Amino acid sequence: MNYDGVEILFAEDSIDDATLTIRALTKSGFTNKLHHVKDGAEALDFIYCRGIYASRNINEKPKLLLLDLKMPKLTGMQVLEKVKLDPGYKSIPVVILTSSNEDPDVKKCYALGANSYIVKPVDSNKFFNAIKEIGMYWMIINEPAH
Amino acid sequence: MDNRNKSDELSIANTELASQNEVQEKRAAELVVANKELAFQNAEKEKRAAELSIANKELAFQNNEKEKRAEELVIANKELAFQNEVKEKRAAELVIANKELAFQNEEKEKRAAELVIANRELAFQNEEKEKRAAELVIANKELAFQNDEKEKRAAELVIANRELAFQNDEKEKRAAELVIANRELAFQNDEKEKRAAELVIANRELKHAEDDIRKLNDELEQKVIERTAQLESANKELGSFSYSVSHDLRSPIRAINGYAKILEEDYGDKFDSDGTKALDSIMYNSKKMGQLIDDLLAFSKLGRKQVTVSEINMAALVSMVMDELLFDEDENIPEFKMNVLLPSKGDQSLIKQVWINLLSNAIKYSKYKPKTCIEIGSYVKEKQVVYFVKDNGAGFDMEYYDKLFGVFQRLHSQEEFEGTGIGLAIVQKIVSRHNGTVWAESKLNEGACFYFSLPA
Repeated sequence: MNYDGVEILFAEDSIDDATLTIRALTKSGFTNKLHHVKDGAEALDFIYCRGIYASRNINEKPKLLLLDLKMPKLTGMQVLEKVKLDPGYKSIPVVILTSSNEDPDVKKCYALGANSYIVKPVDSNKFFNAIKEIGMYWMIINEPAH
Repeated sequence: MDNRNKSDELSIANTELASQNEVQEKRAAELVVANKELAFQNAEKEKRAAELSIANKELAFQNNEKEKRAEELVIANKELAFQNEVKEKRAAELVIANKELAFQNEEKEKRAAELVIANRELAFQNEEKEKRAAELVIANKELAFQNDEKEKRAAELVIANRELAFQNDEKEKRAAELVIANRELAFQNDEKEKRAAELVIANRELKHAEDDIRKLNDELEQKVIERTAQLESANKELGSFSYSVSHDLRSPIRAINGYAKILEEDYGDKFDSDGTKALDSIMYNSKKMGQLIDDLLAFSKLGRKQVTVSEINMAALVSMVMDELLFDEDENIPEFKMNVLLPSKGDQSLIKQVWINLLSNAIKYSKYKPKTCIEIGSYVKEKQVVYFVKDNGAGFDMEYYDKLFGVFQRLHSQEEFEGTGIGLAIVQKIVSRHNGTVWAESKLNEGACFYFSLPA
């Protein structure tokens, strides 16, 4: 599989949320540049080109990480922590997606260096808009560090 | 013859004198006795002493008279002796006859001399008696003075006695009063002893009660500790439950809503009107479900949220809320009447939520009225500041007032006025967490007024 040109790494264990998120991004024109992984461990494998991603070009770093918080194996927060502690990756913006504004980890996420924290709305219109705005902001408006 | 007669007469006179002297001696002796008696009878002594003085003077006078007579007798005797010598001469002849007479005369002379001596003795004795009488007078005067002193003292003593008697009376009265007081005290002591006995019993009971209370308190404390632990763990459970609810319930609802949206977008033209309606219902209800979950979470979050009290400039806070109110273009924008809003204390963000909920309610329930006015104001009542939001909108039936502030309780249909029924429940929860009160007044179709109070 070719992972060249992947700009958004999207980690989400829920197929439905992933489907809806990807659809929202697709409709906003970001499809080709997005790769979806199903848990935190796979996200790190992708970033560091390990396991099934061993063949991936390590010099191609994603421009945005979209991490769901609650995932099997490694949580979004663990991925966040790892990336933000790594000088080579810490400048990559990380947007945390979660189903809940009740999450006790919100504060921790910001402390660890999360750039945004988005509660996924139930209303599909709002959801689409939120995802579209994330893509727009971080991929187009925001000037990357390098 | 004459001489013999004279001699006889002299003899008789002498005898009489002697007898008189004897009588006088007896009287003197009696006087002594009387004087002695006088000495004892002091009360009468002055008078008697005076009488005695007179009597003594008389006696002295009589003694003087007797002395004079004695002297005359001496002179007479001397004359007689001279006449006798003459007579002796004359009676040389009469010697024999006269010898007897001479002898008798010598005898008489001897007796007269003895009388003289006796008279002198009497005179001396009278003088002595006078001296004693004078001494008695002095002694009597002294006694009288002493009697006066004694009488004075006796009078003083009488006064002193009266005083003492009065004091004694007073003391008796006091004693009587003391007796009564003592009886009273004795009675009171009895009562006190009774009470003391009762208190001892009461104390014992109290001690038992205290022991019981202590036991109960210990048990209570133990229970409180247990309950607190239970509550803490329940709270923790509630926290993780809230998280689970928000996380795990929202995901499927979001999926339902999202896929319905995909159906509508991608396959909408393939549905007939019934299918489209069903699809709309799915979207509407899933959206509503998401809203209900969010409201429920917001409400349960309130109970756990720390209330941070600070001074609130209510006028500034409310105008901030007003600025944030969003109206659609076609919406019935009401007229606002702002009265003075007094400052008070509370959690700024929570109180802001109260105003948001009350104002959006007022706007929402006024939307069908052609001309709507919302009045905001405040006043002080019983050390609390009362704020109110008054509208002339749909109002509600006071019959269902008890449901007004209930969670998810609604007094209007969803078609008429949208909403989940959480707004007023949140208002009540926030205000009660501030130790305030919420209440409302309304008349159906005429408007409603909502009040909430906060500590000034």
